[in-house]
Amino acid sequence: MKKVWFLVLFAALFVACSSDNGGGDNGSDNVDPAPVSFERGAMLENWADNIIIPSYESFTAELSALKAAFETFKTDSNEANLTALRASWLSAYKTWQHVSLFEIGPAETVGLRLNVNIYPVDAEKIDGFVQSGSYDLTLSSNRDAKGFPALDYLINGLGENDTAIVSKFSTTEKDGLISYIDVVLNDMETLITQVISQWKAGYRDTFVNNDGASSTASVDRFVNDFILYYEKYLRAGKMGIPLGVFSGEVLPRNVEAYYKADVSNELFLEGLAGVQNFFNGNHFQKASSGESLASYLEALNTLKGGEDLAELINGQLNAARTRVEALGSFRSEIENNAPPTNMLKAYDEVQRAVPLLKVDMVSAMNISIDFVDADGD
Amino acid sequence: MKKLAFSFMAVAGLIFTSCDSDDNGGDDLPLEATCDDGIMNGDETGIDCGGSNCGPCETGVENPDSYSFERNGESTVSFTGQTTRLLMGDEILGAFSDVSATVEQIQAMFAHQEGESDFENADLNASDKSISSKTAASADYFSSNAVDQGLIRADFNGWIAAQVEEVFPNWNVAAEAGTAGQIADGESTRYISAQGLEYNQLFNKGLIGALTVDQALNNYLSPAVLDEGSNVANNDSGTTEEDKNYTTMEHKWDEAYGYVYGLNANSADPNADLGADNFLNKYIGRVEGDTDFAGIADEIFQAFKLGRAAIVAMDYEVRDAQAEIIKEKISEVIGIRAIHYLQQGKNALSQETPDFGGAFHDLSEGYGFIYSLQFTRKAGTSEPYFAKSEVDGFLTDLLDDGENGLWNVQEATLDALSNAIADRFEFTVEQAAE
Repeated sequence: MKKVWFLVLFAALFVACSSDNGGGDNGSDNVDPAPVSFERGAMLENWADNIIIPSYESFTAELSALKAAFETFKTDSNEANLTALRASWLSAYKTWQHVSLFEIGPAETVGLRLNVNIYPVDAEKIDGFVQSGSYDLTLSSNRDAKGFPALDYLINGLGENDTAIVSKFSTTEKDGLISYIDVVLNDMETLITQVISQWKAGYRDTFVNNDGASSTASVDRFVNDFILYYEKYLRAGKMGIPLGVFSGEVLPRNVEAYYKADVSNELFLEGLAGVQNFFNGNHFQKASSGESLASYLEALNTLKGGEDLAELINGQLNAARTRVEALGSFRSEIENNAPPTNMLKAYDEVQRAVPLLKVDMVSAMNISIDFVDADGD
Repeated sequence: MKKLAFSFMAVAGLIFTSCDSDDNGGDDLPLEATCDDGIMNGDETGIDCGGSNCGPCETGVENPDSYSFERNGESTVSFTGQTTRLLMGDEILGAFSDVSATVEQIQAMFAHQEGESDFENADLNASDKSISSKTAASADYFSSNAVDQGLIRADFNGWIAAQVEEVFPNWNVAAEAGTAGQIADGESTRYISAQGLEYNQLFNKGLIGALTVDQALNNYLSPAVLDEGSNVANNDSGTTEEDKNYTTMEHKWDEAYGYVYGLNANSADPNADLGADNFLNKYIGRVEGDTDFAGIADEIFQAFKLGRAAIVAMDYEVRDAQAEIIKEKISEVIGIRAIHYLQQGKNALSQETPDFGGAFHDLSEGYGFIYSLQFTRKAGTSEPYFAKSEVDGFLTDLLDDGENGLWNVQEATLDALSNAIADRFEFTVEQAAE
């Protein structure tokens, strides 16, 4: 009898405590993970030296080219120079899509992503600033009046056509517009310069040397950032939110590069390519590659339903790309179709990669997801 | 076999250790439901009945499907005064972001006088209700405690004044340690004091306690109010208030209900749209969303419904038993959210790149919920879970790790506060943190 009581008591304790162990129930089988011949450090090195830093360098060069194109437009504000300026803007914007996912360390410190690319842009606020000439673009509350979306408005949205836009730069507003664009471009340059110099001045080593396996190790942290990027900024920001997946009503005004109107797909596809290149460890703008999440999964010999998980993920990302490539511009898909069925189908295809990354991949790597949807207040 | 036994022991050790760290190792045992010990414990919903282990409580009062009650074919449910105050609260919160508003204007909204044009909503202007008159104003806690009532109202007026005098002038200044201004929190921008406090959050979350919890738990659900004067005799005889379709006792209970569900689209079925206001309703919804506490929203609603049916059935024991359930569960909501925000704030600060904006937002919400703890009510007692002096001590601790308040707060402080709060409730810091 006594023994039975003890067992009951023990069982009661077990029940009482089990809910505390929600996050750590892998504690006991975690102690001695199966030996795998995969060096996390080598992967971090590949990420830093062959992907992240070269992407930042390329983006910096693109920004310089954009500034040069604006200098040319400034001295001679004609339609040809506007076209050239716009091409530089698009080229830099596309390269940005390969940089945006690296929101860790120096980029996180300066809040790079949300300083460079919050959309929709607040055009009314920009108009007010241009008129008054009084603004501080370093303020958090002005992030929706700068970066690429502000430039989108200023070079694509000021008039019905190029003639109308160029004419804005020959009126009394000219000086205000020119100096506003200058401030926007300089702000972007300042931020990226800070980020890249910190990577080179020490953060690269900090990042690469933190090669353990814990919630504060570089791989665990960056995999979280990577999945957050895919889920929130690529999937939701570029497609789901304008589609009204979360709000219940379509929001065409929320597509990326709203004023340019026909490049939001291209920008999305660049972002998707950035994600897939990173997943496969492809060296930035090169044919070579190195250790990656894909090679890590292969080293772990991770299967899902008998199939190679890395291949499944690549297959899913390819399927998503095919769907999105077949679409018209996001803005026209949303504005001209009710409901925008084809784009919703493409969104579903993009979404299907989320559980593969967020559940299957991370559990194979023993990484826990530490982000949750924000409170919203 | 030996190995197995050993690992069994090791696991057992782990379990004991994890319980000890929660500081309630031994105390867990009496919490197990015992269906014949004469006290309400475990998940029993009455003394030695209800819950998952004991038989159902015999009430003789049937719990209706929805919160709708009628007399002579017409509804007897009314809580317009509560709805009005919740709407006033929303407008006041809006004024915290209107840099053109003055201290006098916002304080006049708080202490609205009938006919004054304090609000956008004309119905609110016409109302004779105000929030400040019901702030720290319950019969049980404040009828003979004018001193604390005065201090608490001064806190709310102080947060209004500080927002206008400290934060508005620095609206377009980047905040830093010791300087009020704005700071990024993800895509949002927060406006904080030199100490890192968001006064609108203090006001909002503080009012959840000082207005909604205090009025519901310590006033309208109190026998001192429900049974005042000839309320019992009138309810027994079905004597309604003059020109009204309800007895006074029915109405008092509904007024408690209104502070919890006053803005839900269908007041008969309020859990269909939990989160309809920015006050208690929203945070019952948030706690319901945490799997550790799923079901709490229904427990609160069921108790309100059964208690109201008990008044109709003139069964005041059942009524009071439901009031106790409501007191316990709503007090838990306050404790859970206080800890939740302290821990969220800690997480935001402990990252490699500390997220100060996110942390200050969380900790400001946490500040307001800690403030609200003094209005909670321990079931079966006339006491809050934490006395005002204890709450004041917590809030001092939160801000005194350095000269710049939240800019200097240490993780150890946030953990110590979380543990101190959890110690008096039946849940753990870990459960509340998620």
